[in-house]
Amino acid sequence: MIILPLKINNLSYKIDNTFILKNINILIKEKNITIIAGNNGSGKSTFLKALHGLIDVPYDKITWNNIQLSKIKKYQSMVFQTPLLLNRSVLENLKYVASKRNIYNLEYVINILKKLNIEQISDINAKYISGGEKQKVAIAMAIIGNPKIIFLDEPTSQLDPAYKNDIENIIKNLSISGVKIFMTSHDISQIKRIGSEIVFMDSGKIIYHNSVKKFIGENHKNFIKNYITFG
Amino acid sequence: MLNNILETAINLIITLNKDLFEIISLSLLVTLTALIISVTISLPFGAFLVFYKNRVQSITILISNTLMGMPPVVLGLIIYTLVSKKGIFGFLDILYTPTIMIVAQTLLIIPIVTSLTYEEIYKKNKEYKLLLNSLNLTKYSKLKTLIYECRYALLTVALTGFGRASAEVGAVMIVGGNINHYTRVMTTSIAFETSKGSIELAVALGLILLLISLIITLLIKSLRRIS
Repeated sequence: MIILPLKINNLSYKIDNTFILKNINILIKEKNITIIAGNNGSGKSTFLKALHGLIDVPYDKITWNNIQLSKIKKYQSMVFQTPLLLNRSVLENLKYVASKRNIYNLEYVINILKKLNIEQISDINAKYISGGEKQKVAIAMAIIGNPKIIFLDEPTSQLDPAYKNDIENIIKNLSISGVKIFMTSHDISQIKRIGSEIVFMDSGKIIYHNSVKKFIGENHKNFIKNYITFG
Repeated sequence: MLNNILETAINLIITLNKDLFEIISLSLLVTLTALIISVTISLPFGAFLVFYKNRVQSITILISNTLMGMPPVVLGLIIYTLVSKKGIFGFLDILYTPTIMIVAQTLLIIPIVTSLTYEEIYKKNKEYKLLLNSLNLTKYSKLKTLIYECRYALLTVALTGFGRASAEVGAVMIVGGNINHYTRVMTTSIAFETSKGSIELAVALGLILLLISLIITLLIKSLRRIS
């Protein structure tokens, strides 16, 4: 199934009369890593949630290859900033997600554990593993069932450099294997390392959309310039 | 004097006194049956309420929370008026039977299990809402997952219900009538034996009740630690 282009047509979202997303129009065609950047409160995470259908927006505002979001949802998965894992072993967490995707093959699940190099913690309760390991488990859960789109909400913001490197490599490999990645990030050096395309947001609006290369190379107004300098 | 009473009471327990164990058996039968029925109804109902945020849900929780603190003697009185000869359920002829005692205790536990289940599932749903929604699950599937994730907490809820039912005296006294060898349970027996001055049996039953309470407390403590 072809899922791109992603087309967003005048999307707005408000909570208690405050616009969190405002008049968003965008067309994303490339199957690469799209970074959603911006300062705190710019609407990045809400935008990601809207793309994944986690917040209610009118059905015709977001389409994937002219297909409605509700029909594409089964091809998507998401990794949250704080990994959400169930109170059971790592293996059981993966088996749970697999069962929800109608996969009952234990070997398949074990292969994913191996792929992410976390098979040594498979029997440990997910509550007791480190933050980096939790994020790896969350990514392992997200790739079960071979989704075509993965959303990552600042997946490395709480990790040390070693785990950050590990996770970035996993994300890059997923992109190489053909998965469309949308990832929010604050970290400008990370954006340079793994991002192909950038969507820059401010106060719920998209104020810049281009390749990361151009984003870094261009002469920006003060606001984005400061972000690039101090990010 | 206290020494003598305690000695006789412990002796009644050690020698497996027939009357004593008949009362304990009936108490456990009534309370456990009431617990099973109320958990079967209230646990899914309390969990179900989490997913239906509307006025009916708010009112149901409000009523359930209010009924949690209902004095058992008032509940007993209401049931009595309903099942006595002149009551609308008088034709059932179940007043002063173990059946109506089970009904009374079931009604006593239902609000407790409903409200506490709702609280537990509500908290867990808040924690896992994003994950469950991102997996695109049906409400039924979410409910199953949340109940499983709250399994230890829900066992604690059930034990709380058991503790409340096994310790109450008012409702079962009114609807059961405290008939010897038929509807006499631990709590009604303690009240009755004390009133007639037969302290030994009352103390023996009191010790058993305390032991049950201790076991429940220890179970709840260890379940909390696990969860």
